[in-house]
Amino acid sequence: MTGPTLVVGELHDGALSDATKEAVSVAQSVSGKENVVGFLAGSSPRGPAAGFGRCGVARALVAEDPRLDGVAGAVVAHLVASAADSLGAELVLVGGSTFGRDLIARLGIRWNAAVATGVTSLTRTGASFEVRRPVFGGRATETRQLEGAHAAVALRPHASAAPPDSPGEVALTPVPLDGVPASFWAAKRLSVEVVSRGAGPSLTDASIIVSGGRGVRAAENFRLIDELAASLGGAVGASRAVTDAGWRPESYQVGQTGKQVSPQLYVAVGISGAVQHLMGMISSRVIVAINSDSTAPIFKVADYGIVGDLFQVVPALTQEVKRARGQ
Amino acid sequence: MEIVVCVKPVPDAETRLRTAADGSTLDIEAVKFVLTGYDESAVEQALLLKEANPGSKVHVVSAGPPPRTEEVLRASLALGCDLATWVEMPPGVAPDPVSAARALARAVAAVPHELVLCGKNAGDDEAGVVAGALAELLGVPDYSAVLDLRWDAAASRLRFQRSTEAGVEKWEAPLPCVVALQQAWNDPRTAKLPAILKSRRLPIAKVPPEAAIPATGTTRPTKFELPPPRTGAKLIEFKTPEEAAQKLVKVLKEDAKVFP
Ligand SMILES: Cc1cc2nc3c(=O)[nH]c(=O)nc-3n(C[C@H](O)[C@H](O)[C@H](O)COP(=O)(O)OP(=O)(O)OC[C@H]3O[C@@H](n4cnc5c(N)ncnc54)[C@H](O)[C@@H]3O)c2cc1C
Repeated sequence: MTGPTLVVGELHDGALSDATKEAVSVAQSVSGKENVVGFLAGSSPRGPAAGFGRCGVARALVAEDPRLDGVAGAVVAHLVASAADSLGAELVLVGGSTFGRDLIARLGIRWNAAVATGVTSLTRTGASFEVRRPVFGGRATETRQLEGAHAAVALRPHASAAPPDSPGEVALTPVPLDGVPASFWAAKRLSVEVVSRGAGPSLTDASIIVSGGRGVRAAENFRLIDELAASLGGAVGASRAVTDAGWRPESYQVGQTGKQVSPQLYVAVGISGAVQHLMGMISSRVIVAINSDSTAPIFKVADYGIVGDLFQVVPALTQEVKRARGQ
Repeated sequence: MEIVVCVKPVPDAETRLRTAADGSTLDIEAVKFVLTGYDESAVEQALLLKEANPGSKVHVVSAGPPPRTEEVLRASLALGCDLATWVEMPPGVAPDPVSAARALARAVAAVPHELVLCGKNAGDDEAGVVAGALAELLGVPDYSAVLDLRWDAAASRLRFQRSTEAGVEKWEAPLPCVVALQQAWNDPRTAKLPAILKSRRLPIAKVPPEAAIPATGTTRPTKFELPPPRTGAKLIEFKTPEEAAQKLVKVLKEDAKVFP
C-alpha cells in the first residue's frame, strides 16, 4: 500500500478537536509529513480547517454545506470514502470520538477497509499496518494486522500527543456533496445540551478521577468526593451502588455498564472493587484505594492503598492536596 | 414495529483471561459465554419498545460458532424475544466486526426490519463497529450513543438522545434505521424458569454465512497480551489521617509522578 493518509477532522468548540490533532500526529509519523491530507465537513469548515496548517498539514479537503452541522457520521462517511478514492489514499485516520468510530465503521464496507477502533498504537508492517488496542475493559491488549489495500483507524483518546502548534498554511480544496442517499439527511438534531460538569473536566477526558462508592453512605456525603476531585483538578465518578441509590446520575457510573476510563490517576473511595467496576478503570495508570476493609478486592489492583475511614482520610487528603498545590 | 436486535456472545465478566497457546487470541477453553453488557441492555430496550407499541415483534439475530451463539439466542428468547435467527459459523471462527456485520446483514435483510438495535459495543473486543457497518450494508442511516429511545407513533418518528462529546443531543429520525445503544440498564429483566425451559424448544432459524468471508475478516489477530499481574497495593502506614494524607501526596509526587 502506498498513497496519502487522510485525517478526518472534527470540531470542538469551533476549532479542530484535540482528538483530531492527535490523529494528525499519528498520521505524520506513519506516513511522513508530506503525505498527510486533512478533511473537514461542516457549515463553514474553512476557518477551522486552518488548524490543519498549524499542525503541519499542507493540504485539506473541505465539504461545505449548512446541513453538515450535526449530521450523523453516516453522511460524512460517504463523502470521506469518495475523497479517499479520488486521492488514492491507503489510510483514513480519525480521532477517538463517537463521530470517529461511526465513520470508521461505515468505511469498513463503503471503502472496503480493514478497520480498527480504540487504537493506542499504529505501525507500518511491510505493505500493511499493525494496530494495538486495549480489549476486555483494558484487562488485555490485542495486536491485529490490517490486511488489504485500505485501512481505516479510529484512535483511542489521549493515546498520542498533538503536534506542536506551528505557523503553517494549509491549501483548501472543496469536495462535492453528491452520492449521499436522501434518507441519510432525514434525521434532525433538535438540540444540543452541553452537559454542565461544573468547572472540572468530563469523566472520559479527565487525567485524574476520584470515584466514590457505597462506602460514602449518602448523597449529601458525596460532597467529600467532589471536594477531593476539585482540589486535584479532576473529574468525579461513582460505582453502580451509588448510581443505583440515586446519589448521582448514571452518567457518573464507571464500569462494565458505565464509562470506561483510563486516567493517569484513579482514586477509588469506599469502592470494594467488584469486577464490573474494575472493567471500567483497570487501565488507569495509577490507582489509589481508600477503604476501611483491608480485604477489599480493590487493594489487589491498586498501586497505593490507605486502609482507613474515608470520612477521616478524605477531608485530610483534600486539605493536604490544596496545601501542596498552593490553593 | 418490526424490531431486530443483534447480540453477540461474550465471555462472562468474571472470566479469568488467559492467552491461547498460539499467543494471538484469548484462550476460550472453559470460558462461559453470555448475553451481557450493552447487548443485554439492547434486548431490554427492544422488549420495552415492543411493550409500549402493541403489535410489535422482536427478532433476535446473532452470528457466530456453536454452541455459544445458540445459547445467547435462547437466552434472548427466554427474555421475551419472539423470533431468532442464527448465522451459523464453523467452530473456531472468530469474525472481526466488519465480517460479523456482513454475516448479520444477510440475516437481517431477509426478515422484516424497521428498527435494528445493537449495543454500543461488545464487552470483549469493544470495537463498536457492527452497527455502522451493518447500516451501510442495509443502506439505511445509523445513530450511535443513543439513550432514552422512544417511538412517537403520531409523528412516525423515533425520538432519542445521543450522548456525544458535544453533550447530550436530542434527535428525531424516521425508520428504517440502525441504532447503537449506549443505554445500559442496571436492572434488565431476568428470565423466569418456565420461560427458560420453553426457550429450549423454540425454533431458531439458521442461515449459512457467506462462503467468501475469510475466517477472521480483513483484520487478523496476531497477539493477545495480559498486563503483568498487579502485585497489590503498597499500603500507607499512618497514625493520623493527616499523616496518611501527607504520605500519599508524597508518593504520588515523587514515586508515581502523577500529582498535578
Ligand atoms: C451485569 C452487571 C453490571 C454491572 N456494572 C457495573 C458498573 O458498570 N459499575 C460498577 O461500579 N458496578 C457494576 N456492577 C455492580 C458491581 O457488581 C458491584 O455491586 C458494585 O460495583 C459495588 O459498588 P461499591 O463498590 O460502591 O459497593 P460495595 O461493594 O458495597 O463496597 C463498598 C465499599 O465501601 C467500603 N466502606 C464502607 N464504609 C467505609 C468507610 N467509612 N470508609 C472507607 N471505606 C468504607 C467497604 O469496605 C466496601 O469495600 C454491575 C453488576 C452486574 C451484575
